[in-house]
Amino acid sequence: MKTLLTALTLTTALTLPAVAMARPVTLTTTLNAYGGDGAYLALYVTDSTGAYAGSLWMAGGKSKYYKHLTDWYRATGGNTAEVNGITGASVGAGRTLEITFDLADALFDAGYTLHIDASVENMRDSPNEVAVPLTTDGAGIPTKGRRYVADFTYDM
Amino acid sequence: MKKTLTLLAATTALSVAIGVPAWSTIRAADDGAGSPLAAIVQAGQDARPIILARGDDDDDHKSHNGSHYEDDDGDDDDHRHGHRHGAGHDDDDDDDCDGHRDDDECTGSARNAAPAGSVAPPKNGLFGNGAAPTARVN
Repeated sequence: MKTLLTALTLTTALTLPAVAMARPVTLTTTLNAYGGDGAYLALYVTDSTGAYAGSLWMAGGKSKYYKHLTDWYRATGGNTAEVNGITGASVGAGRTLEITFDLADALFDAGYTLHIDASVENMRDSPNEVAVPLTTDGAGIPTKGRRYVADFTYDM
Repeated sequence: MKKTLTLLAATTALSVAIGVPAWSTIRAADDGAGSPLAAIVQAGQDARPIILARGDDDDDHKSHNGSHYEDDDGDDDDHRHGHRHGAGHDDDDDDDCDGHRDDDECTGSARNAAPAGSVAPPKNGLFGNGAAPTARVN
């Protein structure tokens, strides 16, 4: 009995920090009615030095077009392994993409910046369409994009 | 003296060997008449396969502003695309791996990323160990 209790305490102690280390975050990206085809969007994070830290989402399934997401492509070399399991369909003009996942707590208030690169067929590529620092205070505050993104919000 | 004669004979033979076929070909081209040697050369040219340059390359769809693709999958933009290029002409052949395309999509060298839900997200330290990402477009 005592052994069981000890084991339970131990596993709980080990599990709790893991749960506390991540939180559910919803990223909402609304596109302008720019009058073109669906946009490819790369959502990724850079650290406090501006170095690429990792990708959060890729909207658009065909890797041959990733070169038009120029900043993301420069950082990753277009490596599809960076977006395996976090890739969905491109987003139509005027539509809203809502992504929910567990993000590491360490991303917030630590100098990380979330970027969005955008690209639309026969229209101008838009690297760094959105660049928003990840802070707990910044949650829920919409950020305007440069060309295709009407606004972007992250909620925790 | 003998050496000079041998050298002369050799160069003459070489000239004849090279010159006669060439002369024969030129004459045939001039007057359209076929000579045996010209016929051989002509037959060789006829047998060459015709190589057609294909106009359906990805880059052809690039506009002057450097943007790109003719289509995307996984969403409903395909229909709009068809209209944009005119009635009855839908060059939406992205998904065709029918042997006609020359891009690298069909050769396997450009692999598409695994869709969300099919594999775990990358271990880049950004994601927790909780639920898999979910996305929806409204």
